[in-house]
Amino acid sequence: MESSEGTGGLSGEIEVEAYRRLFPLPFYERHLLESVRPDARPLNRARDTTIALGPVASADGSALVKIGDTTMLAAIKLEVMTPSTDAPDEGSLAIEFQMPPICSPSVRPGRPAEVASVISKQLSDVMMSSEMINLKELSLISGKAAWMAYLDIYCLSADGCLFDAALLSAIAAFSHLQIPLVSVNDDGRVIAVFGELPEAKLKLELVNKEKRKLSLGSKPFSLTCILHEEYILADPNAEEESIMDTFVTVVLDSLGQLVSIYKPGGAALANMSTIKACIALTKSRVKELNNILSESLSEMEVD
Amino acid sequence: MEYVNPLTGFRLDGRRPNEMRQIRGEIGVVAKADGSALFEMGNTKVIAAVYGPREVRNKGQQINNQALVRCEYGMANFSTGDRRRKPKGDRRSTEISLVIRQTMEACILTHLMPHSQIDIFVQVLQADGGTRSACINAATLALADAGIPMRDIVTSCSAGYLCSTPLLDLNYVEDSAGGPDVTVGILAKMDKVTLLQVLLEHTKQLECHRGA
Repeated sequence: MESSEGTGGLSGEIEVEAYRRLFPLPFYERHLLESVRPDARPLNRARDTTIALGPVASADGSALVKIGDTTMLAAIKLEVMTPSTDAPDEGSLAIEFQMPPICSPSVRPGRPAEVASVISKQLSDVMMSSEMINLKELSLISGKAAWMAYLDIYCLSADGCLFDAALLSAIAAFSHLQIPLVSVNDDGRVIAVFGELPEAKLKLELVNKEKRKLSLGSKPFSLTCILHEEYILADPNAEEESIMDTFVTVVLDSLGQLVSIYKPGGAALANMSTIKACIALTKSRVKELNNILSESLSEMEVD
Repeated sequence: MEYVNPLTGFRLDGRRPNEMRQIRGEIGVVAKADGSALFEMGNTKVIAAVYGPREVRNKGQQINNQALVRCEYGMANFSTGDRRRKPKGDRRSTEISLVIRQTMEACILTHLMPHSQIDIFVQVLQADGGTRSACINAATLALADAGIPMRDIVTSCSAGYLCSTPLLDLNYVEDSAGGPDVTVGILAKMDKVTLLQVLLEHTKQLECHRGA
């Protein structure tokens, strides 16, 4: 079962590719013995992450995040609505995560991918329970008007770690969000004012004087690790996720507090030291992500 | 409303009547797809991915002597000015999916790949008029990136007629102005028309002019 060196360089390479397809687990285990992965990453390193803010000009806040080849596009659109009676000065947030068929060969059109609903629910839970967004900031006129923020996240390319990328894109989109100007028109209805204000409209009373950004609390960041025997692999790609099925997702906020730990079964059982190791890996990843996000934000401000 | 300025002849966005918007194409944007492309026409941004030729999922639809071509068109919720509630499955999306499928099917050499399926998925990220054309252009690039044998490259563009002037490549404002509009898809080298859709919205009379 060992792949032997071919006589020519090319036939040697073809044997390795065939071995990788036919016996993926032994292929990986031989790499793990040397504490490295086939893409030359050490076990605890995540892939290159980039954040681009504001790719969708028509949205109030948007971000494009790439972790390795996994690409997520998040956009926020704000609409005015009447707040509910039991929370008259709070706005509201609707999160939707979708995997269109372009992202992966396993997604069939007409039937949403199973994993999309799971990630959607996880995202909702994490964003609502972390104290990043204060819904009171989304209020306009108490009892009469508030903002409804629709956050749509689209997976454009799925190559592992979908939840991490989706969460990062949601956080980045909220960091980029600018609340538009609104005014009250003659019927007493609140309407959004787009573009420049012509002189004649200045008689309309502006509810908020200038475009402002949300003041965000501590932001949650996450890291998914795969467990296999005694190895912990951080930030798996799709190939690794398909052969080793046990993963742990840890969400920490930028103050280092634990927001969520998610380990949905799997063949490998983890003891406390493994979980602590995952949390430690997540801590360093959080610092990394925070830096990347602040860099992108400061680049935007310079423009 | 003045879609064409009578003094200068410029349109609302500063273009001349026979000027296209800036186009930009990029291939290989989706890692897992066999072929993919991102195509922009002005502010309209569209991403297309091709998976195939691969095994037919639904054996009942398999064709014995040629490849089955399927296409799905979707618009992101944030792609238009107001947020869309139903991004797929509405009549317009189904119609455009059909149009793109038939246009691409005409140019793919399907008889070379029997018993297989080619999936073309198109997602509109930002819509500013001409989405149909941008989708066809993106699909062509994605098919080429996937190495699928085709007769020719299909290119497409739209045009309209406002303020007694023919206008090339309408944006959303010009498209919703109520004048007639036409979308054309042609096989570039063979110089043959594969798609022709004309929408005459509120025009009472149709004048026919021979173009140069």
